[in-house]
Amino acid sequence: MSPWEPVAATTGYPEPVAGVDPDPERSWMRRLAPMVRPHRRIIVVALLAALIAMGAQVALPRIVMLTVDDALTSDDGNLVPYVALMAGVAVVRGIATFGYRYGLYGAAYRLEYDLRTLIHRHLGHLSFSFYDRVQSGQIISRANSDIRSIQMFGAFAPIVTIQLLTLIGALVVMLTIDPLLTAVALLGIPGVFVAAQRLRDLVFPLSWLVQARLADFATVVDENLNGARVVKAFAAEEREIEKLARSARRIRWVSVVQIDARARWSPIVEAIPRLSLALVLAVGGWRAAEGAITVGALLAFSQYVLLLAAPFRFLGFVLILGQRARASAGRILELLDERPTVVDRPGAVDLLEAPGEIRFDGVAFAYADDEPVLEEVDLTLHRGETLAVVGRSGSGKSTIARLLLRFYDVDDGRVTIDGRDVRDLTQSSLRHHIAFVPDDAFLFSASLRDNIAFARPGARQEEVADAARDAAAADFIEALPDGYDTVVGERGYDLSGGQRQRVSLARGLLADPAVLVLDDATSAVDVRVEEQIHAALAERRHQRTTLLIAHRLSTIALADRVALLDEGRIVATGTHEELLAREPRYAELLATTDRTAAEEPARW
Amino acid sequence: MVMVGPPGGAGGGFFGPSATSTSAASGLPFAGVPSELREGAERILATEPEPPEPDVRYEPAAGEPPLTLRALVAPERPHIAIAVLLVIVETVTGLAGPLLTAIAIDEGVAERRPGVVFAMAGIYAGLVVVQALAGFGRLSLTGRIAERILEGLRIRIFTHLQRQSIDFFTRSRSGVLLSRMTSDVDALSALLQEGYVNLIVQGLTVVLVTVVLFVLSPTLAALLLVIVVPVFVVLTWWFRGASTVTYERVRDRIADVLADLQEHLAGIRIVSATNRRRHNEVLHREVVGRYRDASLDGSRIGAIYGPAAEVTGLVGQAGVLLVGGWQVLDGNLTIGELTAFVLYLTTFFAPIQQLVQLYNVYQQGNAALGKLGDLLAVEPEVRERADATELPPIDGQVELSGVGFAYVEGTPVLDDVDLAIAPGEIIALVGPTGAGKSTLAKLVARFHDVGAGRVTVDGHDVRDVTLESLRRQLGIVPQEPFLFHGSIRDNVAFGVPDATDAQVRAAVDAVGLAPLIERTALGIDTPVHERGVSLSAGERQLLALARALLARPAVLILDEATSNLDLESEARVERALDTVLDGTTGILIAHRLATAMRADRIAVVDDGGLAELGTHDELVELDGRYAALHRAWLAAGGAERTERPRR
Repeated sequence: MSPWEPVAATTGYPEPVAGVDPDPERSWMRRLAPMVRPHRRIIVVALLAALIAMGAQVALPRIVMLTVDDALTSDDGNLVPYVALMAGVAVVRGIATFGYRYGLYGAAYRLEYDLRTLIHRHLGHLSFSFYDRVQSGQIISRANSDIRSIQMFGAFAPIVTIQLLTLIGALVVMLTIDPLLTAVALLGIPGVFVAAQRLRDLVFPLSWLVQARLADFATVVDENLNGARVVKAFAAEEREIEKLARSARRIRWVSVVQIDARARWSPIVEAIPRLSLALVLAVGGWRAAEGAITVGALLAFSQYVLLLAAPFRFLGFVLILGQRARASAGRILELLDERPTVVDRPGAVDLLEAPGEIRFDGVAFAYADDEPVLEEVDLTLHRGETLAVVGRSGSGKSTIARLLLRFYDVDDGRVTIDGRDVRDLTQSSLRHHIAFVPDDAFLFSASLRDNIAFARPGARQEEVADAARDAAAADFIEALPDGYDTVVGERGYDLSGGQRQRVSLARGLLADPAVLVLDDATSAVDVRVEEQIHAALAERRHQRTTLLIAHRLSTIALADRVALLDEGRIVATGTHEELLAREPRYAELLATTDRTAAEEPARW
Repeated sequence: MVMVGPPGGAGGGFFGPSATSTSAASGLPFAGVPSELREGAERILATEPEPPEPDVRYEPAAGEPPLTLRALVAPERPHIAIAVLLVIVETVTGLAGPLLTAIAIDEGVAERRPGVVFAMAGIYAGLVVVQALAGFGRLSLTGRIAERILEGLRIRIFTHLQRQSIDFFTRSRSGVLLSRMTSDVDALSALLQEGYVNLIVQGLTVVLVTVVLFVLSPTLAALLLVIVVPVFVVLTWWFRGASTVTYERVRDRIADVLADLQEHLAGIRIVSATNRRRHNEVLHREVVGRYRDASLDGSRIGAIYGPAAEVTGLVGQAGVLLVGGWQVLDGNLTIGELTAFVLYLTTFFAPIQQLVQLYNVYQQGNAALGKLGDLLAVEPEVRERADATELPPIDGQVELSGVGFAYVEGTPVLDDVDLAIAPGEIIALVGPTGAGKSTLAKLVARFHDVGAGRVTVDGHDVRDVTLESLRRQLGIVPQEPFLFHGSIRDNVAFGVPDATDAQVRAAVDAVGLAPLIERTALGIDTPVHERGVSLSAGERQLLALARALLARPAVLILDEATSNLDLESEARVERALDTVLDGTTGILIAHRLATAMRADRIAVVDDGGLAELGTHDELVELDGRYAALHRAWLAAGGAERTERPRR
């Protein structure tokens, strides 16, 4: 375990026991097999229990038959042993059923646990390029419905297999009683299967449609709640009600279609076994009247008919579950087959000392298949220096920061720290020494303390408070009723943009990093507060190298040196004054910047 | 067990109207609808008729009658009567089987008369067909009744929400209101679709079977009711309680799992940058483990109940065979009757099981009904007068005289405010947060009613005119530019839905958004939400301004956004503002001096009234609070006042 990735939490729950088969050529079941294998003991025991339960189920009608024929219709019958046997078999069946159900569900839930934790771990290793490409909502839905559909298949498929075995057992018993009546009892079975299948073919897509339309409906409601101001401002109430009425009508239409599908087919699914019963009564009653079979046999058959129909009602359901599980497994395996693009090289070494000189040598980079962002960037940061990179939006300023942290690998050239290529260093040791504060100030829904202590979950309160003070966040945090225990609302929306940035900055400062990368990290912070922050930072400025990505003049003014980025290259470096004097592009860029910097204090 | 529908009801939004073309956008090849269902779903949708134009009327002044179940189902009474009849037919025909079997055995088999056997089997088959037909009719009828009621209720609640004033939406959490319209309506739906019908079906079954059992053999029936049924009921009651509790726990914990994963993904860049991965793995194992434990508890409860209920039934059956068998041997009962008894027994436990399970449906349905009733009982704060008149086209003269207002009694926000705004004049309201700038603007738009004094527009008291005619001529651009699902066009033409494409284009161009339109393939038809073009904060604000520009109200109230815009966007927004304000009366709630300076006059709102009022030059001359602020601004390098360009 890497010393750079500390774990300050404990859990009693184990790591996932196994991974999937890495060979993408194999079928999904084979690929998931290694994950099922650790649970094979439970599964085997459960299947044995299932066999017992199944045997008991087949035996019970036969015992009823014996009871009726031997004890009731003969004069010297003694009922008690038969009835005792029946109760005993019932109890055995009950226990065995509990055993196999709980066992199978248990295995399925353990498999689900392994899959979820495995996916989470895998996601943590994927590179930024993956997250640029994929919407997190898609991953969540895979983690939710896809895992669940595999889990459901895992729990149901064995049950139906067992039901089918039961069916064979029942058939054998029935044949020994009366082959003709067995044939009659079987007549309706295909009908059950077809009707149940037909019902599901219709109802499955329909329930998705109903869900989708309910979701559309919820969207209309939701935007009218959140956009109520706009609706009122433009007196659009009636139109929005019409929009909603249309949506409600669409729900009703698809619901009624679904209701009709059920109304048409589910009475048929119910009726066919009953018609079989009527048929068994006719033929069996006739045979019994003829003396060919006993009354007990007739009774046993009417129970076997219902038993025969049961698996066929669910067979189609399990087939669909299987189909869906296959599709889901495909999606999950696809996710697990994603490989990180940025990986530690074999033989990568840890960066042990605080970085001194950071250099970009002829760095070129493009995101995915896009236009190149950086063409040939040469840049040097000296130890203890504060360097601001400025440029128009979209000029690739943030990319420079991301390449330094090795969120991406350069396409050409190299980024070195004290002469060592960052690709020869372990990622975790590199990131240990470099703190990164992004512009979007994402905060987690945890307490402010936990947010600030994010990089070092075990940090002491004083360290958290120090970081908050340096980031000029301490005052407002301490003024909150719950102080550092205040839990940030969803995505941190209940703090102002500037406050969020200050908390995010405190998070970066907590680790007291040797290199600090601020990617437009104080853009929403009031200029006076920003000055305060930089004053605090300046106290340590000579022990810390700072890379500033900046828009505002007030921020740029705090740097020792400024590098101007334009069209993928650093076109000029020097102090602010130097650049202003000799670089017209710099002055031009600042012309727009100048104005708001000055407006800031005049807010009410 | 009818397991249909998406597992866990998840992924509701996958199959929206636009969902078929989203796979490419997600970056992974097969996202969206489960592919195996897509074809079936599309086939069904192809049969959908064009829905008729909705026939709804919005009456802001109308009141809502109280919501009761009786009132809700009243219009459906004749249909319900038919449905109840069908339910009775369905239930009674469904119960004939064992009796017919008994007759067939006793009179047919025992007496060696195959004719009786065939007759009974024929009647049985006939009744099964009748039952199926009644079932078909009952299902489609009750489903339609319930869907009609629900559709009406959805529209009714939404209409009532629309009547509420702005503060209602600020005060209530939108998530709670949304759940009224979704989960509470769903709970009511379950009550209507399954609850009542099942109550009749199962209740009737239990009663009829009990009667038949007593007729067949009072001893056996009494034995059953006293010994077996109580065990069964207790067992089922335990299961109902235990499974509800665990179900909720499973639901909460899977929510925790997803929330944890969601945050991990949303913050993955920070997680990577701070080497937090392993720590988060451990945290995730904890939440997933807790979810697994809850799921295992749930499956154990299910695995106990199912077999236990079965064993109870089977042991009961054994007991019946024993006691009934003795009666047969004594000659007090026929074999046929005993058979019927045993067969009825199997139909006896299922309805009890169902009835106990229904308890939850009732509880939730009734709770939902209560909550919806409370919502419908909320009185709108601002009500249109019954005799309100249409506000004629106005010039845009706004006057507040002696206006007072308090959100909480005793702490007035505004007190005796007088302010007259001439047609075409731009007035900026400035002042510290909470001083009442926004309140003042809301009073003009009648989002609140004044506590004292009056607000007039072109001499008409705003309380005397219809809200629709008032707001049509008096536009508000809110601070947070809210965009609806739909295209750029839908959003820009929000106030004027019948605007032509050319008009929309012109408004978009006028606010300087032409480059955005050119950037997209679909032009003004480009969707603006998650699946469409991504808009910057500045572009969203410009769209909001284009929306106001197209509506061209005579009076425009504009709440300046404080959100952080980049410099370029800020400049664009300011230019667009000038275009939009040109020729209208403007009330600007300004947060920045640069904006306030562009107005004709400036009002400093503080301490419940107008502390200063005048042109920029007058206020600077006055040397009060505005002047002090202006000096600070100049000192920080602000440019001198620029004239707002006038066309």
